[in-house]
Amino acid sequence: MDELTSVFIQEGREQLQAMETGLLDLEQQPDNHDNINGIFRAAHTIKGASGVIECHYIEAFMHKVENVLDRLRNGEIGVSDELTGLLLRSCDHLGRLMDVLESGAAAPEADVQQAGDALLVELAVYTNSGQKPATGGGLVEMDADVEASGGGVVNTDSWHISVRFGPHMLRGGMDPLSFIRFLSSLGEIVALETIPDAMPTAADMDPESCYLGFEIRLQTRSSKADIERVFDFCRDDCDLRILPPNSKLSEYLKLIHDLPEDEMRLGEILVRCGALTAAELEAGLDSQHDALKADQDAESEAPQIGEILVEQKVVHKAVVEAAASKQASVSEKKAVEARLIRVQADKLDQLIDLVGELVIAGASANLLAQRSGQSELVESTSILSRLVEDIRDSALQLRMVQIGETFNRFNRVVRDVAKELGKEIDLVITGAETELDKSVVEKIGDPLMHLVRNSMDHGIESPEVREAAGKVRHGTVGLNAYHDSGSIVIEVVDDGAGLPRDKIFAKAVEKGLVQPTQTLTDQEIINLIWEPGFSTAEKVTNLSGRGVGMDVVRRNIQSLRGSCEVSSIEGAGTTFTIRLPLTLAIIDGFLVGVGRAAYVIPLDMVIECIELKDNTAERDFLNLRGEVLPFVRLREMFEIEGERPVRENIVVVQYAGQKAGIVVDQLMGEFQTVIKPLSSIFRHLRGIGGSTILGSGEVALILDVQSLVQRNARSEEREMSASAALPRSTQIQ
Amino acid sequence: MKTIFLVDDSATILLSISNILAKAGYATEKAANAEEALRKFNAGVKVDLLITDLNMPGMNGIDLIKEVRKLPAYKFMPILFLTTESQQSRKLEAKAAGASGWIVKPATADELLNTIKLVLR
Amino acid sequence: MASQNRLSIVDDMTIYNALDQKNRLMSALAEVDMLELDLSHVGEIDTAGLQLLILSKREAARLNKSVTIVAHSPAVRQTLDFCQLAKFFGDPVVITAHETA
Repeated sequence: MDELTSVFIQEGREQLQAMETGLLDLEQQPDNHDNINGIFRAAHTIKGASGVIECHYIEAFMHKVENVLDRLRNGEIGVSDELTGLLLRSCDHLGRLMDVLESGAAAPEADVQQAGDALLVELAVYTNSGQKPATGGGLVEMDADVEASGGGVVNTDSWHISVRFGPHMLRGGMDPLSFIRFLSSLGEIVALETIPDAMPTAADMDPESCYLGFEIRLQTRSSKADIERVFDFCRDDCDLRILPPNSKLSEYLKLIHDLPEDEMRLGEILVRCGALTAAELEAGLDSQHDALKADQDAESEAPQIGEILVEQKVVHKAVVEAAASKQASVSEKKAVEARLIRVQADKLDQLIDLVGELVIAGASANLLAQRSGQSELVESTSILSRLVEDIRDSALQLRMVQIGETFNRFNRVVRDVAKELGKEIDLVITGAETELDKSVVEKIGDPLMHLVRNSMDHGIESPEVREAAGKVRHGTVGLNAYHDSGSIVIEVVDDGAGLPRDKIFAKAVEKGLVQPTQTLTDQEIINLIWEPGFSTAEKVTNLSGRGVGMDVVRRNIQSLRGSCEVSSIEGAGTTFTIRLPLTLAIIDGFLVGVGRAAYVIPLDMVIECIELKDNTAERDFLNLRGEVLPFVRLREMFEIEGERPVRENIVVVQYAGQKAGIVVDQLMGEFQTVIKPLSSIFRHLRGIGGSTILGSGEVALILDVQSLVQRNARSEEREMSASAALPRSTQIQ
Repeated sequence: MKTIFLVDDSATILLSISNILAKAGYATEKAANAEEALRKFNAGVKVDLLITDLNMPGMNGIDLIKEVRKLPAYKFMPILFLTTESQQSRKLEAKAAGASGWIVKPATADELLNTIKLVLR
Repeated sequence: MASQNRLSIVDDMTIYNALDQKNRLMSALAEVDMLELDLSHVGEIDTAGLQLLILSKREAARLNKSVTIVAHSPAVRQTLDFCQLAKFFGDPVVITAHETA
């Protein structure tokens, strides 16, 4: 395979993926115009590229798909389940055409070709409906004479090409059909009629002479010269007439008059291919000819004119093609069903729910087996629990999607917004292949959009300001994603001006958020942007400053059990870091006990466990190998009654680079658990992220390590700023 | 795969056109003069389209077209000739000899490929 | 009862074979009242071939006979579709040949 083709196959598959993703989103959000544009763009790119590599079967197919998408984009047709389903099947077909191309075959096998033809028939329903409204902008205004006036459907915005090939075409090595087919590469043939009238009876018919003519309706942006050029080689040997779009009725009547065929018959043909309505034709011909002549013609020809004819036009192409390709469409359906199973999201959720129950039941069986002390039972339950683990992973994997799709949407946003703001901004994406739960992906779009817009609006400076500051004119906004200890981390990075601390502080004072006399660390000042109602924009642009503050972004992310942080260097840029759990459903937990209560700490945050001796001192930090480790005592925090045991344990956890200790009575080991969200009454409870049911049937609370760590970090900062000297502390070896 | 027979006395033109055709997925057959081309046609070379220059040393392109058209196997084969804008009169002559169409030199790859697509069966 | 006959065309229906095929078609039509054409093996069809099909259909109508295409190759079906002639021929389009009762 040549390089160009392999490049095309790769690009084509990517675009195909983009189309597919877009179409799936389309079902969720039929009004998302960006998405529809994206789908159209992808289809358009594939069509264009297939033209470059001269892969005509892909080009021709995608041309029709693009036409439908164009109408969708222009709001001429609406989103429906049938349409998205059809377009998804078209995507599948395109995938098969790519396979054909990749296999090196010159053309698809007959069955693939038929399947494609069947799809084209279905697609044609969306382009051939003839309900195309008058297209404004640049085109000649519709002539009132041509507008439908007597029923029937006309396609006035098409060129009309009328050609009668000369007898010597075939002998000159030319095939008129290939000329007509070539017209399709200029645009779309919306209607076509074959005119064999010039052919004599069998005795006089020379099979090597050409007798055919065609009446063609062509939608194209090409010029008349371009259309004429197609017939360049036979200009001397054929009768060619071309009427531009929106030609007047009188011009069509002249055409009818000039052509060799019978006038009524030609009139019917023009009606059939949508150039005129039947009523126009009748009125037009009546006015030009005496009634007698018209009567004669009507008698000598089949009595087709009139309402029936009009009706026929409406259904014409679709019906005929549908009949011709019915069989093909059946086999197409089967093929698609085999390739792709589409599952309703709630069925998937139900499955994951069940897997959750299975995990709990498995844990319970494990517990009982261990208590029983029967080694064979222990062994078999451990095999069971391993399988359950695999099932859990597979089930969750079903919902995992790459974040790249979400990121890629920002390409367009950044381009458009940069233009709007008069800035030069590049978007750099890394880690697009990082996977996370679909339920998380769906909800992260809005907060990300806000952060990216914020970076473009407030972060990146205008090219002039950047140049003056000695930076490159082009600003860069980065979207990065990676996995980090059971979380997905998403960063929005810009190399703009950074957050202005003085302004933020001044603003916070003005808003009464802080006292002017308060001393705050740089990070504390920066963190003020998360406060409700905070905005530093000097002028309100139409991007930010719409009342949606950073506090809303933070709340949205927190509702996903995530966190967001900001770091900034003035003059050099700002980084927003979002941490999210990979899934919202199940976590590996570490079970601990305090008094008679059990708590679960997400296992991926646990670093180590340490025995805490000498625990009488009432302080909340210790020296862990030379590092200050703040800790919380769960017993105190949750006001659990009962005496502290002699020996306590510290679970060292880490979250977002900060370590903290959690003091508990007992360590009870690893425990796989299903998160049951707390009801809304407990929403404001600090330090608790959810609940779960133990194998024994007891309820255990899941600790919200993030808020615990932050609580500790704040107290640590206070401690550090209050006194540089480290007070007496517990020494741990 | 369609095969296109190129006849031109210029090695550069032969190569540049055959490169374009190869990229577009056509096989090519080449001859540097009309006599060589005619020998191959007489031997029954399997081609779908002939593209020939008109002005060549020895037998010219028009005579080649006439001779090829006499052979039954190539009676209806599309034949294109290479010409320049200034040679309008030769167009008629070549058409009369049996050519299907022409390509005006210098042609872009697109023009060349479009014309081939137009006449190729 | 009119006799039936089926004519299978296995060569390309192109200009190269047009002369021969016209003769075959016309003589077949002369012999029977209802001619069935099996075109399932026609690899290529061009304008000349298309003309012959139209001619057969028209000639049959003139003689009060009938010509039916009982099997189409993809090339034939595509060409008839492209020329909007499927209706003119009015034949049930089936890809594989089948026995008629």
